[in-house]
Amino acid sequence: MVSNETEQKVISANELLTNYGHAIQGGLDTGAKYLKAFHTLSETQDGQALLSAAVELTNFQLNSDFVTFPHQFSDEDVQLIFFERLLTLADLGTDFRISNAERVQKLLCKFTSLGDQTFTFTKSTKNSDGFFFGPTMHNRPLFYIDLKNKELMFHGSALINYFVVDLEGVDKGILKGVLQLLTQAAAELKEKFGFKVDFNVLDSVNGEFYAFAAGALTDSVMDELFVKSAENQFILMTDGIGGASLTLDNGIKVTVTDNGKPDRPKWGAMVHDDQQSENWLYLLLDYPFIKEWYLNNQKQLEILSNQFVFG
Amino acid sequence: MERQMETDQFGQNDAQLSSALNEKIHYLTDLNDSLSNGDDLKVYQLMDPQRYAGELGTDSDAPIAPDHFNLASDLTAQLSHHLSNKLIDYLGTTYPFFYYHEYELGRFRIYFGNWWDHRMFGELDPINVKFNFDEDAYKILASSFALEANNQRVNDDAMKQLGEQNERITKLISEQDSRDKRKEAVRAKLKENQEKSPMPWEAGKVKEERQQLNDELLQLTQTDEEAANGRATIKENENKILALSKEETILSLEKKNIRASFGSFEAFIDNNDHLYDKYLESLTQESQVSDGE
Repeated sequence: MVSNETEQKVISANELLTNYGHAIQGGLDTGAKYLKAFHTLSETQDGQALLSAAVELTNFQLNSDFVTFPHQFSDEDVQLIFFERLLTLADLGTDFRISNAERVQKLLCKFTSLGDQTFTFTKSTKNSDGFFFGPTMHNRPLFYIDLKNKELMFHGSALINYFVVDLEGVDKGILKGVLQLLTQAAAELKEKFGFKVDFNVLDSVNGEFYAFAAGALTDSVMDELFVKSAENQFILMTDGIGGASLTLDNGIKVTVTDNGKPDRPKWGAMVHDDQQSENWLYLLLDYPFIKEWYLNNQKQLEILSNQFVFG
Repeated sequence: MERQMETDQFGQNDAQLSSALNEKIHYLTDLNDSLSNGDDLKVYQLMDPQRYAGELGTDSDAPIAPDHFNLASDLTAQLSHHLSNKLIDYLGTTYPFFYYHEYELGRFRIYFGNWWDHRMFGELDPINVKFNFDEDAYKILASSFALEANNQRVNDDAMKQLGEQNERITKLISEQDSRDKRKEAVRAKLKENQEKSPMPWEAGKVKEERQQLNDELLQLTQTDEEAANGRATIKENENKILALSKEETILSLEKKNIRASFGSFEAFIDNNDHLYDKYLESLTQESQVSDGE
């Protein structure tokens, strides 16, 4: 036993340097791997390679017991760099910019057209691969993205609160420009990368059903829409089965209807236009009286988003 | 003798009976043919020859056909359904703002407009070619037209009153702070007052002062209570105002539609009063056009 112990000690002593060397080498290899992926993230012209690099760099265990790197981009930064590069590769204009590139870690971004407003990604507490994108000053995620599981979801009521309420007074052309950029980026992810995308209030496809939070609406909510429409020379027409429709400019038709079952009402709205360019959010920007109606009755009319992810 | 007299007096009975029955058969055959030929004009004539002759009065010399409608009067629901087809087509052009719902065979509710919460405006009677307007619905429209001449609306006063009440409550709520301060001051004065040991000749004055202070305090707490319940009242009033605005919106749409089709409420009334002859006139013209073809 005694000799055995002595022997073991000798072996350990002999292997110590080797083990140490392996550990350092392993740490350096990890660093090299990180660097390679980072290089791809920042340089590649290939979309799929870009996505793979971003996924690889998210939740990347860079430091080890023997090798640590004091400066490291956060997972949030990786999402932001990915997003910025995605827009560049898709040729989606120059409005979106990383705004504090001089600092490593905690990158922020801006839409030049929105001035000083900065935006950032925040990691989901429920899913380490999921990230929320939103204005730095508000705790309101505008969308959720999970690059690994190829998912993107917009948050309807947060988008409305930010673009319709917080940014009230900003030229609606500018707001639509920013929203279009987000929509196009999501469309790019959907079409070229096979992402599952919930456009929510930004969905302009005819027949998209924007479900209201209330389930059933009180009559007074519809009455208010009727009165406000009439004040603006639009007439809310009954559909004969409890719902109603409103024909606005350029043949845009809004329908408010119950899409549920008799014992389980599910009220919501649909927007129909020939160009399929109008969506619920644009409608609120385009028609102040609909916005007023929505905000007066927000508790009932709030558009539902994925409650598990955003809840 | 008796028998002979009887024979003399009623000798024509069978012949008369037969002729009367034939006339009735003829009537029903006519009615049946008119129905299957889609000759609604003739149906109207058969249903009420007297009115038909009186209001259309084209051939005043022609004898009025005998009225046998009692033979078919148990079939008015079916007749009404049949006649409604062409009548509603006709009304669709003359009264484009009315919509009909046949809630049971041959019975039609009229709805004014197809906008949100359109009003049930009464019933359509296809047999008599007549609108039976709902009295309340019609009355409020009439008064809306009348008030409009003075630039007024039916619900102006009520809406103004509710609005003012809300303004007053909002003010009460906003004045809570100053009311709290005033209560504090009054309570301090009351305490001061109670601690006084007045000379007998001052006792009345001190008592009076105390009464005044107590009254004021009561007043202030009552106002507090009103302010505390105020938000619910404001919401309630807002709902009432909304309901009244809705009614005004509906009335203004009704008036707009009547003007678009008739020019004025009076012209609308006049047309309603002559609906029977106007409609039958149009059926006459229609049949002449088709005869000419």
